[in-house]
Amino acid sequence: MNEQLNHLLARYSNLLTRRHFFSRSSTGIGAAALASMLPFPKPDEKSTDDLLGPASALSQLHHAPKAKRVIYLFMSGGPSQMDLWDYKPLLNEKNGQELPDSVRQGQRLSTMSGFQSSLPLAGSIFKFDQHGKNRTWVSELLPHTAKTVDDLCIVKSIHTEAINHDPAITFFQTGSQIAGRPSIGAWLAYGLGSINENLPSFCVLVTKGKGGQPLYSRLWGSGFLASTHQGVQLRAGKDPVLYLSNPPGISSKSRRAMLDNLEAMHELQMAEAIDPVVSARIAQYEMAFRMQSSIPEVANVGDEPEHVLDLYGPDVKKPGSFAANCLLARRLAERDVRFIQLFHRGWDHHNGLPGGIRNQCRETDQACAGLIQDLKQRAMLDDTLVIWGGEFGRTAYTQGKLTATSYGRDHHPRCFTMWMAGGGAKAGTVYGETDDYSYNIAKNPVHVHDFHATVLRLLGIDHEQLTYKFQGRRYRLTDVHGHVVSPIIA
Amino acid sequence: DRGFTNGQMDDLKFYGRDLSRPEIQFLAGRKDVAATEDDLKHIYMMRMADQLAEERTRLRQAQLNYSDFAEKVESIMVMKELKEPRQTFIRDRGAYDSPGEEVGPGVIKKLLPFEKQFPRNRLGLSQWLTDSRNPLTSRVAVNRIWQIIMGRGLVGTQEDFGSQGGRPSHPMLFDYLCEDFMQNGWNVKRLIKQIVCSSTYKQSSACSLKMLERDPENELLARGPSRRLPAEMIRDSALFSSGLMVSQIGGPPVKPYQPPGLWKESNNIAYERDIEQGSRRRSLYSYWKRTLPPPAMLTFDAANREVCTARREATATPLQALVLLNDPQYIEAARSAAQNALLKFESVDEQVAYLFRTFLGRNAKDQQLDILRKTFVEQLAYFKNEEKEVETFLAIGDLKADTQVDTNELAAMTVVAQLVLNLDQFVMKR
Repeated sequence: MNEQLNHLLARYSNLLTRRHFFSRSSTGIGAAALASMLPFPKPDEKSTDDLLGPASALSQLHHAPKAKRVIYLFMSGGPSQMDLWDYKPLLNEKNGQELPDSVRQGQRLSTMSGFQSSLPLAGSIFKFDQHGKNRTWVSELLPHTAKTVDDLCIVKSIHTEAINHDPAITFFQTGSQIAGRPSIGAWLAYGLGSINENLPSFCVLVTKGKGGQPLYSRLWGSGFLASTHQGVQLRAGKDPVLYLSNPPGISSKSRRAMLDNLEAMHELQMAEAIDPVVSARIAQYEMAFRMQSSIPEVANVGDEPEHVLDLYGPDVKKPGSFAANCLLARRLAERDVRFIQLFHRGWDHHNGLPGGIRNQCRETDQACAGLIQDLKQRAMLDDTLVIWGGEFGRTAYTQGKLTATSYGRDHHPRCFTMWMAGGGAKAGTVYGETDDYSYNIAKNPVHVHDFHATVLRLLGIDHEQLTYKFQGRRYRLTDVHGHVVSPIIA
Repeated sequence: DRGFTNGQMDDLKFYGRDLSRPEIQFLAGRKDVAATEDDLKHIYMMRMADQLAEERTRLRQAQLNYSDFAEKVESIMVMKELKEPRQTFIRDRGAYDSPGEEVGPGVIKKLLPFEKQFPRNRLGLSQWLTDSRNPLTSRVAVNRIWQIIMGRGLVGTQEDFGSQGGRPSHPMLFDYLCEDFMQNGWNVKRLIKQIVCSSTYKQSSACSLKMLERDPENELLARGPSRRLPAEMIRDSALFSSGLMVSQIGGPPVKPYQPPGLWKESNNIAYERDIEQGSRRRSLYSYWKRTLPPPAMLTFDAANREVCTARREATATPLQALVLLNDPQYIEAARSAAQNALLKFESVDEQVAYLFRTFLGRNAKDQQLDILRKTFVEQLAYFKNEEKEVETFLAIGDLKADTQVDTNELAAMTVVAQLVLNLDQFVMKR
């Protein structure tokens, strides 16, 4: 009986939502929820990799993976590259002078600075110093991250076409400026499946209490993929996952008793007529019950030793802060959550940049460095890819008034800096160069699509082969673009 | 400020009155300023004539009234055809700056040629779409209705009727329904009636394992439909069965229950729930913020509305279980139903049977009643010792407890109602 049911479930789940995938007989969208949660033995064809969950769309990885999990620290608003990473003394020399036409090359500016009567260059008021084995330049704003440069792969030549926040951030999260596509985490959940039974495979952590450009649920949405692949937001506070806690007045005793009776009702139903759908639903309730302890368990950092908390800085004790989220990210990574996305808003410094960016760095610098060190200490850095970056860079010229103590910068898609650490990203590397104005790329451009292709590669996936047929053609994260940037792969 | 291109600001002055033409000329530095008779008349009337002071005040007030009124009028953007149609070109490989051949409005000729009587604009297009010789529109419409009722369209790919889409499973039936639909004034209600009164629809959805294996999607229609309800219908079902649903048709949208702080976190906007009636309208009327849609809806696969979604999935996830177990919306509905049960019936057996029937639309079998009764007894015993818990539990949601009802019993019966709401049979239509 069980045999028959197993087999039927396998076939049924494959067609449950009328979409067909290649290879594995037990895959399917519904199967992502179904098969991965059911107490059934793994299918006969053993996957070649234990990195693939039982309901993955891929039957095997295309390359030997370097990373097993990703922690993406998204700096929303567009951090200013020349004040943090891209050291340009020429801008200080030419402070106040007009941006040369030869540099601008007729670029159409945004309406925010496009009507300025002049575009004076603004040198960074922050000091830069060289750090690490390779004497890498880092600004004084990032004293902690600077100490980790030997672990970082800094890419200075990232570029995008998008000039405003919504399309730009959507581009980074979904591979298209236009809404409707699945996010990176959703693609990975779909392709690789879940390797953790009790936690969602794609978690999202947004820093609490920040202002700045808004975020949208589509940034961790599943687009046209099954909704089971969307990111689950973990929030600070009583209910890390929405609707997680029992309602006030209902103790776990009362709830458990009710759930037992619920299961008894379902079993009566099953006794009458075998229905895989009922079976699946029973499994969901059990998973929900498990999540009611697994989520608070992961969110409870009470058992973390002081010396670990110290790595992240004092904010780590404030739930919902960036530091607290970084620590939570490490705990999720430890439990094999595949893709952990953090969002920290407030980098959009059109004016008051020096003051604004000091705040932002104070909130994030130590935590980033702490996360890397923490992962390293646990021997997790090698197979955890950490990414830091925003949706675009900022202009070399000032938006608004240029004074001795303050300036602003407008959006700049043509070149900006991101870094990666661990998970196969080549440590102690600086890749790509910008011109002396940090305005154009001089060497080795890396487009958003290239960045995506590379991330997938590090996880063992050929970006051209993780596809999904929708509206008559095959889609992928990189759509019809993207080249893997091999020099930054260890 | 960096000033504005090709201009400067200098010597800024504010005047509390309209300036006349000669005054403006003078201020602009013109040397040969001369006031015409009209100018003088204007200045006199606007500034000096005392007998006109009252009129001037009335004028001012009228202007204020006008701008007050005009500001509050909500403007809605409408589309209108240009007098001169814009030249439109095919773009080479989609690049906006490489125009190719010029094209005009047109349609897929194979369906129905765009005849002379159709004007070459949107009106013509709508006429073409609904012409009885155009096969496509009615097919898409009929298939959609069939899909909603049967769970799967006669054409499986509701979103694609093209060459890559599926073929109708029952082409003659489909053609008949489409023709009949058009000939009877495109009457949706009539079509729905036709389908639900058919013996095909009335079949039992029970089937053997063998049957399930052979035809998992019920393409052959050898059994009745079996499919999870869409998100909106699940919420509506709970509201309706519990007696809470507000039957108002139309009007502005409302904001029902949502976990607090969501909008604030991502968008810095406060979400103000519409209490009581506002939280009990049909889900159709729920305010929908596209960048942050109601999570309980998304959890049940509601479309996110960023792209057209002609066919939704029907997943089963633990997050759905959490919504049905812990969302105040469903707890309040459960309590309302529990209260109705306690007020209408005397014995526990009758009460739990009522709950089963009102939410699931069928009578409970003895064994099922046994379990429900057992649940009530267990929960009652638990609540009897926990006065505080009873109080907090019954405080969830806006619905006030009826004074005639014993609070411990209400709490216990609410849990029973919750159990019924969480049964597979509540979310599945069979």
